[in-house]
Amino acid sequence: MSGKDLSPKGREIPAIRRVVLNDVSQLPSDYSTTPGGTLFSTTPGGTRIVYDRTRLMQLRNSPLARSPPANMAQIPGITDFNTEAEATKKRSKRGIVKDENKDESKIGHDEHPQFEMDI
Amino acid sequence: MNNKFEALKAEDSGEEEEETFRPAPIPGEGEHPLQYNYALWFSRKSQTNKTVRYDQNLKFIASFASVEQFWNIYSYIVRPGDMSGHVDYHLFKEGIRPMWEDEANKHGGKWVIRLKKGLASRCWENLILAMLGEQFMVGEEICGAVISIRFQDDILSLWNRSNDPGIVSRIKDTLQRVLNLPPNTIMEYRAHTDSMKDNTSFRTTDHFKR
Repeated sequence: MSGKDLSPKGREIPAIRRVVLNDVSQLPSDYSTTPGGTLFSTTPGGTRIVYDRTRLMQLRNSPLARSPPANMAQIPGITDFNTEAEATKKRSKRGIVKDENKDESKIGHDEHPQFEMDI
Repeated sequence: MNNKFEALKAEDSGEEEEETFRPAPIPGEGEHPLQYNYALWFSRKSQTNKTVRYDQNLKFIASFASVEQFWNIYSYIVRPGDMSGHVDYHLFKEGIRPMWEDEANKHGGKWVIRLKKGLASRCWENLILAMLGEQFMVGEEICGAVISIRFQDDILSLWNRSNDPGIVSRIKDTLQRVLNLPPNTIMEYRAHTDSMKDNTSFRTTDHFKR
């Protein structure tokens, strides 16, 4: 085996296995178990992709979670592409986003150059 | 010239393409897949023309397959608490339309929770994060969640497939845990067949309250 083969590689996402329940009695009796087990258990047939709130909030700060969505419908006042600016500000207040808005005062006058129109 | 024409054509067809095939989203490289794909919908009741059918007001916003794709969308939509008028967000598993009549919904029902003004954004976020993260532990039962902004109270609903009492009470327990609701919050379970009978979503909840 060459050294190349030992370099870390991404792994495939484990296949999702569906567990069909025919009756409520087949549900596990405690909340820490899903039918067929959890993603982390070794129970045969068990793969449920579980995230708690904390984990989902952590993932919100990933660079992958910050690009504008590609295939989103535009609904005036609802899918508002300006809300991201606010969301970024809020997150930066909590100290997670570094300082994208720090120089706001300097760029004040040319903040929206792309949207100016002569009519 | 050619370009303009193409653009117009695209716009035209967009109006009627409500029901056309949409390719299922797939998790991007390095993203965290969800157990299910979900679709986000929006509806606003017209105040001028009240005869417009519910499904005609229903607008598809976007669908997603991973945690990252969800946050991308969520960051670009107005939070429910900042909206006004008679509006709803519906977040449903892909393939289930947010309607009583849908095959997945018609034998089921929903938990209905009335929220005082000011709680909608936080409770909605907690609810959908629990749903996306598979916190309810009821197999395939969950269909989707709705936040309804109304004039007095806001209403949070969680829809599921069957109205089996065991499932329903299990869902209630998780709701109470993840929502961290103020004491004395009114929760009611309502079968969709009852909603269909009197054609109203929350009427009995009103009765219950008074």
